[in-house]
Amino acid sequence: MQLHFTKDVLPDSVSTDFQNLNKFNEQQFHRLIEILCQFLLEPKETERFMQHLTEFAGEHGMSAGPLRNLMKSVLLVPQGLNEEKAAHFAQQWGEHYAALSRLAVGQTLMVNQLVDMEWKFGVTVGTSEIQKVGNVFLQLKLVVRKGNSTENVYMELTLPQFYNFLHEMERAKASMECFS
Amino acid sequence: MAAAVSGEDFTNLQLLLKAPSKDAVRDVCVQSHRAPSRRLAETTASAFSIPAAQAAQLVQSLHVLSHHVLFYNLSSPEQILALFPESFHSSLKNLITKILLENSPTWRTEAVSDQISLPQLKELDWRVDMVTGSDSVSRMSVPTCLVQLKMEDPCPSAGGESVSTVTVELSRESLDTILDGLGRIRDQLSVVAGK
Repeated sequence: MQLHFTKDVLPDSVSTDFQNLNKFNEQQFHRLIEILCQFLLEPKETERFMQHLTEFAGEHGMSAGPLRNLMKSVLLVPQGLNEEKAAHFAQQWGEHYAALSRLAVGQTLMVNQLVDMEWKFGVTVGTSEIQKVGNVFLQLKLVVRKGNSTENVYMELTLPQFYNFLHEMERAKASMECFS
Repeated sequence: MAAAVSGEDFTNLQLLLKAPSKDAVRDVCVQSHRAPSRRLAETTASAFSIPAAQAAQLVQSLHVLSHHVLFYNLSSPEQILALFPESFHSSLKNLITKILLENSPTWRTEAVSDQISLPQLKELDWRVDMVTGSDSVSRMSVPTCLVQLKMEDPCPSAGGESVSTVTVELSRESLDTILDGLGRIRDQLSVVAGK
């Protein structure tokens, strides 16, 4: 992984440290960025930086040592970086982190994920038992991902069943919206 | 399958005159509709005191007649009476017609639900979970929906299972897409119904 602004190559340990950064929740993360930015804007204030880090570690029940190492990995900038570049770096990193998070969530395991749905409906005109019928039927094909391949599930619904299906899916959606 | 009702069938039907009661006639009519089995023939033979071979023919002819009535949806007495030959016993003809008319609605409903089809949706259950962590992100809060569909195959292939269950996971986007699709189906259905 190359950094955009230095073209240096990151050592492996940094990659792990970045993953550890993912473990902070949004609030914690923002606070860390704040601390970092403050330091970057005034790189001579190393003591204050260390103090902030130690306080942060204490508030969130983590040990200061690993946190300091983590911050060292992040600070792959030569000393004397000017204000503008420091702010730019912090902003880039913030954006990069958001994209990484989204990617990580998107890769979260999904069991039997629904990939596609096709349907057709029509009227049964007659059968071998009854010459003239006239029932409406709905046929659904669900394409489900099972591991690396997909499986097709076919089913038929009567009209009342279809309306019930629609009703239940609307209830499920309402339930999901409660939680976001 | 609806075969035509032949003269021989009506000859066999006259054996019903040997029935001990009207209820016995009713019973054999109803049971022969489902399947003219050998067991039924034997029961009928002993109840009517007729030879087993004749009972088997009677049961078979009843089956042909009731399915003919069902197939062509003969729903009035006149339509059914018209099937019988002139020489047929009058009271018996009326009794058989009455029994067939009484049972036709039930038989028709059964035939419709037994017809060949894709596995039919029997039950639908869902739940919404909140995913709070995974191997790639330790803390998250993403809702996800699990839907379980129970289906029954009315005509399973030999050795195949009749009831099958599928559980599907849906993300929020998938659920929205499904609802979009179902909404379109509903709109199309109301257009068709309106015509």
